[in-house]
Amino acid sequence: MRSTPFGFAAALALIPLLAGCFVSGSGDPNEQGGSTGRVRVALAVPPAQALSPYSNDATVLSKLSVAEGLTALGADGAAAPALAKSWTRKDTTTWVFELRQAKFHDGTEVTAEAVVNALDHAGAAKAKPRVLSDVTLTARAEDADTVTIGTKTADPVLPLRLASPALGILAAKAYAPDGSVSPVGAGTGAFRITGLTGKTKATLDRFDDYWGGKAKAPGIDVTWIADGTARANGLRAGEVDVAEWIPTSQAKLLDAGTPHEVPSVRTDSLVLNTAGGVFADESLRAAARAAVDGSALVDSVFGGYADAARGLFGPAVPWAADKRVEVTGRATAATADQVRSKTGGTPLRLATYTNRAELPEIATVVQQQLEEAGFAVRQDVREYTQMEADLLAGSYDALVFSRVTLLDTGDAVAYLASDFAGNGVYNIARVKDSSIDQAIASAAAEDDPTRRQQKIMLAEAAVLRTDAVVPLVHEKVVQGIGTNVEGVRLDPRERSLIDLDTRLR
Amino acid sequence: MTSTKSAGAAARPHRWAAGAGRVVAGTTLLTAVTLLPWLSGTDPALTVLRARSADQDPTPAQLAAVREQLGLDEGPFTHLARWLGGLPRGDAGTSWVSGEPVLPQVASAFAVSTTLMLGALVVTLVVAALVSARTLRLGSRQEPPPGRPGTGAAFLAALPKFLLAALLATVFGVWLGWFPSSGWAGPASMVLPALALGVPSGAMIGGLVDQSLPAAFTEPWVRTWHACGFRPGRIALRALRGTVAGVLPQFLPTVVALVGGAVAVEKVFNIPGLGRLALDAAIAQDLPPLQTATLALALLGVAAGLLVQALRHALLGPALRDGGLAAPRRSAVRPPRSTRWVAGLCALTLLALVVAGSLRDPLHVDTAARLLPPSAAHPLGTDALGRDLLARLGHGALRTASLALAVTAVSVVAGLLLGLAGRVAAGLTEVMSTLPAVLVGLLTTAVAGPSVWGAAAAVCLVGWTPYAAQTAALSEQERASGHVLASISCGAGPTHLLRRHLLPAVLPAVLRNALLRLPTAVLVLASLGFLGLGEQPPTPEWGRLLAENQPYLELAPWTVLGSAGALVLLSVLAMSGAALGRRKA
Repeated sequence: MRSTPFGFAAALALIPLLAGCFVSGSGDPNEQGGSTGRVRVALAVPPAQALSPYSNDATVLSKLSVAEGLTALGADGAAAPALAKSWTRKDTTTWVFELRQAKFHDGTEVTAEAVVNALDHAGAAKAKPRVLSDVTLTARAEDADTVTIGTKTADPVLPLRLASPALGILAAKAYAPDGSVSPVGAGTGAFRITGLTGKTKATLDRFDDYWGGKAKAPGIDVTWIADGTARANGLRAGEVDVAEWIPTSQAKLLDAGTPHEVPSVRTDSLVLNTAGGVFADESLRAAARAAVDGSALVDSVFGGYADAARGLFGPAVPWAADKRVEVTGRATAATADQVRSKTGGTPLRLATYTNRAELPEIATVVQQQLEEAGFAVRQDVREYTQMEADLLAGSYDALVFSRVTLLDTGDAVAYLASDFAGNGVYNIARVKDSSIDQAIASAAAEDDPTRRQQKIMLAEAAVLRTDAVVPLVHEKVVQGIGTNVEGVRLDPRERSLIDLDTRLR
Repeated sequence: MTSTKSAGAAARPHRWAAGAGRVVAGTTLLTAVTLLPWLSGTDPALTVLRARSADQDPTPAQLAAVREQLGLDEGPFTHLARWLGGLPRGDAGTSWVSGEPVLPQVASAFAVSTTLMLGALVVTLVVAALVSARTLRLGSRQEPPPGRPGTGAAFLAALPKFLLAALLATVFGVWLGWFPSSGWAGPASMVLPALALGVPSGAMIGGLVDQSLPAAFTEPWVRTWHACGFRPGRIALRALRGTVAGVLPQFLPTVVALVGGAVAVEKVFNIPGLGRLALDAAIAQDLPPLQTATLALALLGVAAGLLVQALRHALLGPALRDGGLAAPRRSAVRPPRSTRWVAGLCALTLLALVVAGSLRDPLHVDTAARLLPPSAAHPLGTDALGRDLLARLGHGALRTASLALAVTAVSVVAGLLLGLAGRVAAGLTEVMSTLPAVLVGLLTTAVAGPSVWGAAAAVCLVGWTPYAAQTAALSEQERASGHVLASISCGAGPTHLLRRHLLPAVLPAVLRNALLRLPTAVLVLASLGFLGLGEQPPTPEWGRLLAENQPYLELAPWTVLGSAGALVLLSVLAMSGAALGRRKA
């Protein structure tokens, strides 16, 4: 009889012992509702590789103004000066960048040598950053503050490329001999990382020697909260000041003035497998295109936080709407009866993935729209990594797909080439169309920005003509920003969030 | 004197068998986990690349680089050997995704999860005590037991933990602000998740105690003690000893398993626990953390199993060894009249739901009728896509209930067989009870591919452990009771023992346990959907209804109320129906 209470008492006694295992942000000066002026931010995607710029985490470094590249992406989508104060194109493959006076967080100067070192490491990384996948850079230090960058073939978008968060310039100490990269205390931005607790918390302090002046907030306390409802809860409970990516199901619950919508470069579309199965037939693809209506999704699935799609590129790509080319010469859609007889009632396999909460709901709406047009539909919904290999192998007839249309180059050609060129690595629609390939190639070779944009829109029309992809909606991102915060950057490309001007009121 | 000696000699091979069983079970499990990337047919280089960077193009060159970096071409066994070789040095390898040492990560996640589990244990004990308090009080005074069919416990045990978690986070975290809505920053962050995990577990444990207590109070000694003027408190404690000893093994799959199996609650409260770590590692096929987490869970299972065994032996004392346990009389409880009413009402409501729902279209999407509150046109309201919730509930009822019953039946049979197999199977039970169902789901997908039956198979593979643990405990107690020893000395064979003594002693309790766990089976089945296991959307199914409407809990509470209510009804019906059936038998 004695041992029961004893056993339980022993178990209970363990609790305070283990309570030392709570994750406390070192010192936690921010417990009292941000009275110190530090901004508390909830981010969505926990660090994959301890904030290495060669992983998903690169955007965290630019969102929190920790690391910078030679250039930055301006609001108009053009390259703007950052660590390089100016640049010139010496010939088709050579560019010269003039550096500004700047300091790394560890106190060392930003020199041409340091820039070359950083770019060389990015080029030599075992898993090359995506932004360097189609180009080879050679950087050379001319003098202390001049860097020459050469490319193997002409690259008209090199300054845009260098704005990629993956090509942030870090101090020499960031690059370990084993190939790992740590930006802790090695960036050049307005804030420096002082602590990183696993995948849960990070603390950042203002960097007083920042070349652009002193940031208004003394520091940032970052919490990673993967669950969207939990992020919204944190904001509503006053535990954080800024919460990114509020799910549309939670946006309505936020206080007035807290949700801020930003058009996103993400487009959700229905990708049709053109190489086999039902949709190898272009009249059936046309029937699917005619049946599917993205505008029905805007107010339902997205609760108003989306725009009905007008093409591959939405309002977040500011120049797209004016330069859009009308799509002509599409195949005639099969009628419902023709669809039934052609498919013979065989269900088409409609895939989507659970990682983005809206996609399964879209798939269900799309299923009904397709069924009304005579198709039989069977869904397959899984976690993305569970099905990616099958997607690339063409095991599905259709996919509800959410895709960023401006990849880390900030240039739309990269997206078109990887998704729709005959040799594209992400060509899930499996299109092989010489007119698309030509349109993409001619856009890629174009130097003049305006003409490049026109050619991109011609390529868009060429893609849409094949009905290999049916754009549904352009997503909007809802950023939750407490009414006590000002100066948060609302960036369609989601590269910046907290910067010099962000502060608590 | 002689009897003690022979018992001691018999105990030694038992201990050996149990130890060997543990080692074999643990080794098999670790090997299966190690083989995951090679079995799954999904290139681990691709999943690792994806976990590192979402927009990285999966070019052959990139994949080759990852493969070379991780040494994937060396095959699974080289990896296993290297990982095992590092363990004695305290080196569990580095994560394939992050490149960081695994041991500190797993150790901190394990500590977090264990702390949370201990918090949930406290809640469990309190809730269990509350659930069984009345029966205990009445029984100890020799008053007729209340004979409730356990509807209250069934009600609480049927509450989905993730829904409870979301509700608590909203009410006490956001609205009232009494506790942090998420995070893991101090003891205050522990309260809400511990409640979300502990209340249903406590109801389950309490329900089991509550139902075995009346039988304990019919044992002959109770009347003697009462007549001798022992205080009710002492009688209650004595009766609890035997009952708790039978229920104690349930703590392993119900509470200790929360260390790795609380993924949904960890997500809602953003707790950096072991469940999430193991799940992320499994999805990315990041082997070193996955192996280490599995090993930690298996060791935890064995340690908890040994603790439970020691506690039971301490509770029952030498009587267990020497065959001195009293024989409880069975089915002494008469359910009150109200039980029939409760059962009838539940059955009628469910029937009405099914009939009314079947006449409607569960798949028709009407984006204009989104999230409508209950009305004449939509008696239970509509979901986020404007589908009629009554229709979805009604159409899902049969599929959900029959699948859950089938899975539970298979688990019970497997549990009975393995539980009666003796100490050899104990190791397997311990190792498997702490294993999250998701991990088994992934292994099932790897071997057999995603399928409708995959989810059922995966749930069966882990679902038998509570019944095996219970069977083993109860049959051990039964074997040690005087009347069994008497029949053995009268020459009874093993078949006679099994049919006349063991099964009648074990089966009713196991069945009650299974009915209490029925809603859990529904929820676990649905939780594997994201692996492509089970029915695919938009097929209505109760677990999916709950999961897909969880985000709308606050905005449109009726979207989850219907399915949560139906689950509770099913559970209460099962319990009260069983109570009625028992009386007739």
